[in-house]
Amino acid sequence: MTFWSMMQELLGGLAVSVEIFFFTLLIALPLGFPVALGRMSSNWAVSGIFRLFISIVRGTPLMLQIIFVYFAPYIFFKMPLSHYPRLFATVLAFGFNYAAYFAEIYRGGILSIDVGQREAARALGMSRRQTFLRIILPQTIKRVIPAVGNEVITLVKDTSLAFTIAVTEMFTIARQLSSAHTSMMPLIAAGVFYYVFNYFVAFAMEKLEKRLSYYG
Amino acid sequence: MKALTILAPLAIAMTMVCGCGHENDGTRRFTVGFDADFPPYGFKDGSEYKGFDLDLARAVCERKGWTFVANPINWDAKDMELNSGSIDCIWNGFTMQGREDAYTFSSAYVDNSQVVLVKVDSAINDFASLAGKVVGVQTDTPVAKALATGGDRQDLGGTFKALVVEPNYNQLVNELDMGAVDAVALDVGVAKRKMSDLPGKFRMLDEIVMKETYGIGFKKGNTALRDEVEAVLREIANEGLMAELARKYGIDEQALILK
Repeated sequence: MTFWSMMQELLGGLAVSVEIFFFTLLIALPLGFPVALGRMSSNWAVSGIFRLFISIVRGTPLMLQIIFVYFAPYIFFKMPLSHYPRLFATVLAFGFNYAAYFAEIYRGGILSIDVGQREAARALGMSRRQTFLRIILPQTIKRVIPAVGNEVITLVKDTSLAFTIAVTEMFTIARQLSSAHTSMMPLIAAGVFYYVFNYFVAFAMEKLEKRLSYYG
Repeated sequence: MKALTILAPLAIAMTMVCGCGHENDGTRRFTVGFDADFPPYGFKDGSEYKGFDLDLARAVCERKGWTFVANPINWDAKDMELNSGSIDCIWNGFTMQGREDAYTFSSAYVDNSQVVLVKVDSAINDFASLAGKVVGVQTDTPVAKALATGGDRQDLGGTFKALVVEPNYNQLVNELDMGAVDAVALDVGVAKRKMSDLPGKFRMLDEIVMKETYGIGFKKGNTALRDEVEAVLREIANEGLMAELARKYGIDEQALILK
């Protein structure tokens, strides 16, 4: 195995990892908001449902959730899975899992906004919707960025769990190469790739944070 | 412009997701589930998956006009993969003993023994000296089951200080190399491969833990597919292709049963 062919293989795996990463964020970042609002609802039935969702998702391993999402159609309905894309199941499981975590981060952000902001908005004659969208939400987004950044970085590393249902992302490729050639090199190279990936993620989050700190 | 820079990678990723569908030209797809940490039977070689078993499977597909798909799986999830139709068979140095009731097997095509590998300078020379030692095995293999409490070789396994179950063969052999375990029990084919990959590091004990045979595992009851594949496999064996592949991958020709 030449160094370059190893790099090529790992990059192929990285593409899959990046795919899981992007689509998970695409689902989870927006989905976190309705979940957070549902959890904060004054209607107890609504808040109870979202509480239960968050509780189950946070209380069970992501690996188990991936297995569940992929095999559920077969287990419950005996549907053959030959045309059920594994990547789709992976992203679905990741999306719901991360949405639960994001929801709690958003909730913390919303609760951290001083009650005086609401009162002032009301005094200006804003409706509840206007208050949330124009006053609460922009401030919340600013405040939750560091915590969201933590989760996003964890997500990069969590993508390796996708092999539970045979999605060959970068870590799996590295392990296979390591097995085939009885060498630690591919694993070390994969570690470097993860680090570089996360370095850029952290850099982007920092940029975003700076850009949003428009009050200095 | 900003929206474009964000959307472009997403669009690319989207096409990749949609690209992985099934064959649309009507050819049958034959998906082989295997453990890619299992050289010389199935492993990654460059951009392809190769090995004694995978090359056999590819040859069968060529003759049947099927599209060959090598699908590396999580070994612990193999039953769900097979039963749910995600894969068509398990073809990967798949031991038949102890699993006869769980799968529809082809005829045995390779004779295999489970052997014990130790470091060259180890004081362990026979099974008696394994007493009080830490021995590693691969997860969900017949030898792991046999050595565990209640297994067929509990007489041997019971003398160990501990039986450590590892996720894959590579880690198993690495741990032996690094001294985390004193000995490992594994398939003779893999043991020989590792000894030639890392010359001068390991040696094999003369005694054998158990004898077993490899077969192709199909979903329980799927005799139709089994018969189709086996007929072609016999052709391949008769024409000497199987022996040729055995030579290529360093597998003892004496071990081939379907000749």
